[in-house]
Amino acid sequence: MALLEVRDLGLAIAAGGRLLPVVRGISFAVEENETLGIVGESGCGKSLTALAIMGLLEDTAIRITGGSIRFEGRELLTMAPAERRALMGNRMAIVFQEPMTSLNPVYRVGDQIVEVLRQHRDLSTSEARERTLRLLEMVQVPEPEQRVHSYPHQLSGGQRQRVMIAMAIACDPRLLIADEPTTALDVTVQKEILELLQDLQKRMGSAIVLISHDLGVIAETCDRVAVMYRGTIVEEATAGELFANVAHPYTRGLLASIPPADRDVEWLEAIPGRVPAVDQEIPGCAFHPRCPFVRDLCRTARPEGRDFAPGHSIRCHFPREWRT
Amino acid sequence: MNGLISVLRSVRERRLATIGLIWLALVCIAALGAPLLAPFDPLDFDPLARLAEPGWPHLFGTDHFGRDTLSRAIYGARMAVLIGTGSVFVALVVGGIVGMLSAYFTKLGHLLMRAVDVLMAFPALLLALVLMTLLERSVVNTIIVIGTVYATTTARILFGMTLKLKGEVFVEAAICSGAGHASVLFRHILPNLVSPLLVQASFIFAFAQLQAAALDFLGLGLPPEVPSWGNMLSEERIYITRAPWLLIFPGTLIILTVFSMNLLGDAMRDSIDPRFRKDVKGV
Amino acid sequence: MTAPLLQLRDLRVHFRTGRGGLFRRRRILEAVGGVSFDIHRGEVLGLVGESGSGKSTIGRTLTRLERPTGGEAIFEGTDILALTARAFRPLRRRIQMIFQDPFASLNPRLTIEQTLAEPLFIHRLARDRSEARDMIAETLELVGMDPDAMKRHPHEFSGGQRQRIGIARVMIVKPRLVIADEPVSALDVSIQAQVLNLIKKLQRESGVSMLFISHDLGVVRYISDRIAVMRRGKIVEIGDRNRIFDSPRHDYTRRLLASIPRLPPAPN
Repeated sequence: MALLEVRDLGLAIAAGGRLLPVVRGISFAVEENETLGIVGESGCGKSLTALAIMGLLEDTAIRITGGSIRFEGRELLTMAPAERRALMGNRMAIVFQEPMTSLNPVYRVGDQIVEVLRQHRDLSTSEARERTLRLLEMVQVPEPEQRVHSYPHQLSGGQRQRVMIAMAIACDPRLLIADEPTTALDVTVQKEILELLQDLQKRMGSAIVLISHDLGVIAETCDRVAVMYRGTIVEEATAGELFANVAHPYTRGLLASIPPADRDVEWLEAIPGRVPAVDQEIPGCAFHPRCPFVRDLCRTARPEGRDFAPGHSIRCHFPREWRT
Repeated sequence: MNGLISVLRSVRERRLATIGLIWLALVCIAALGAPLLAPFDPLDFDPLARLAEPGWPHLFGTDHFGRDTLSRAIYGARMAVLIGTGSVFVALVVGGIVGMLSAYFTKLGHLLMRAVDVLMAFPALLLALVLMTLLERSVVNTIIVIGTVYATTTARILFGMTLKLKGEVFVEAAICSGAGHASVLFRHILPNLVSPLLVQASFIFAFAQLQAAALDFLGLGLPPEVPSWGNMLSEERIYITRAPWLLIFPGTLIILTVFSMNLLGDAMRDSIDPRFRKDVKGV
Repeated sequence: MTAPLLQLRDLRVHFRTGRGGLFRRRRILEAVGGVSFDIHRGEVLGLVGESGSGKSTIGRTLTRLERPTGGEAIFEGTDILALTARAFRPLRRRIQMIFQDPFASLNPRLTIEQTLAEPLFIHRLARDRSEARDMIAETLELVGMDPDAMKRHPHEFSGGQRQRIGIARVMIVKPRLVIADEPVSALDVSIQAQVLNLIKKLQRESGVSMLFISHDLGVVRYISDRIAVMRRGKIVEIGDRNRIFDSPRHDYTRRLLASIPRLPPAPN
């Protein structure tokens, strides 16, 4: 049994009395000790999926329209709110993109970690303080004894993200969701944070879901990769298999769109057009209006998920068309 | 134009604001058509009908000179609209120019905004009183004084908004295109200030009514012979026990007008700032 | 060899932080601490660095959105930093800027036509509206947009389209030097590639010189002829694109290059 199992999850935005689908029945599973990367462009539904798993969609315009999310074998979507809250920050935790807005600016960072610990663990204040120091050491914040007394704005972006990670792993979560954790950071800091996440995972054996728009970040950190486009997972495989045998034209287009830093490229092979608006219904394959290899079937029939190779699933009628 | 349409739409969504709008329309009609609508000359004495109770032919009764209260109230609407729009005009033009220029030309701003700060250290009514004692009692002077008082708050608000707009990327882009000061100020900044100015105008209009009534009441506003709601209150206040209608009618008119304008202002503010929209819908 | 189009010499930009007050001393932050480089005609100089390195400040100083503390910038023989604001205005046509945020850089109240016509009338490049309209239509096509777009307002366009309009506003006055400040970092990967291709194509066709500012090393490599690496207000290394990437000399450049997440080679 997988640690986290998402089945046919559907999400929709309630707008003007209508429900506009944004996540259209996605399924994936994450095992312990595994890092799953979810990659896609803005609006593909990757962050909403994370929020749905964490139960953070209440009081928003997003509705869960179907499916199931099972964590440690228990269904989250029907769980009592109190029970679910007890899981959050404890058995499962999330790290967001912008560490400044996720930390409360009027409290010292040490106190904020202590607060999380005392909420979920039966610890005395001094025990919680002690553990906070050890957590900050773990995430390699320099001089933790001084830093616990700092306010968020007194820390650099990288240090704030380290504090956020310390807070997320405070209770040894089995599942850590990292939603664009390094997007706001410089490349040198990004590298350190990604290494830290990998290192922590090795030590704690937890599962990580890493959400990013950056294929490079995903390729370097993840064991398995799911590529999302307009609310569906169009391709999923282990990182090695995926990058060696890209099969979906969208994944290929994404890779070709990135200007590489390690070699010269004369022209980029950009994906033409843009992602259609949410309220636009696309018949057939959602990617067909932008696909260079489109055929008649793509315009009428929605491709079902199928195995392209062992452990490599894909939603495309004509995978690897560019080969022929 | 689009702004106006969206404002009207958001007004229509609110019952109270719609009622307010209707009331203000009635006041405007009374103001424009006063000579046709008023049953009597507002200045005519009728010594035989002094302090007559509401009834026929004096629907709202008469005052201690025997002047028809209804006719005076209708003519009073004229003054209300005149003072309101006049003050709004003065406040927006003076305050707008001071605020915009202060934010745009920083050095000038240091000077002008300190002057504004000093004026704002006075309570609004006190400032108006001081200014009125220096000037003659007249309609124009009242407008100038009330307008000046609210020009200070307008300048403050516009100073902040202009400062923010000045840092917007599209303003920098216009500067990079070679746009001069006038073009940046009037083509790129001012149009983005129209909606907040409209909201500000509605509140100034409402406050100007109260301010004018207070000045009249203290005998420092409009000349006593001018029929205004404030003057009516002021002149007849000693008859409050014998002829309460003399105070109830003009008082009610002032309250209704101010209240209506505030409702309208709230509705306009909400149509501009969506943060307020959800919780107060239907009010 | 002809003289460079722009010679930047020892540019210094200091910011006062914390306004200072009765009881506090003003603190000075050195955003740019003595930067010199040349940009030749038809050349793209990439300026790369992390946040706070001062790279954007250089671009903003060259368009006079920021005031320099010292140094000179000789553009076609005149020191543009020494000119009065009035004397600099006619030169604005020659030095144009593409901004990062396509959602903030267009006045929401103006139609695309009004926005694009503004520089034409300011610099007297069009005699009347119909001539302006023709030039706008032509430029919109150049950046891959339908000329009908000119009747519409910015909110009707996506980020990528707005950035194309921003590029059209720059190209319509036929500048000599374009400063592009992170022009694609707000865009999605697939749109970023389209806009990068467009910028490269327009640069090649018009032969305009360009200062391309970005934090993304891949993007800078794709677009630039030469590259300057900045750190803490100073240039640590400057040189030909391939020299910088293939044999970096400065430690910081090496660290920067080593930090880029490695991507598997794109499928053929």
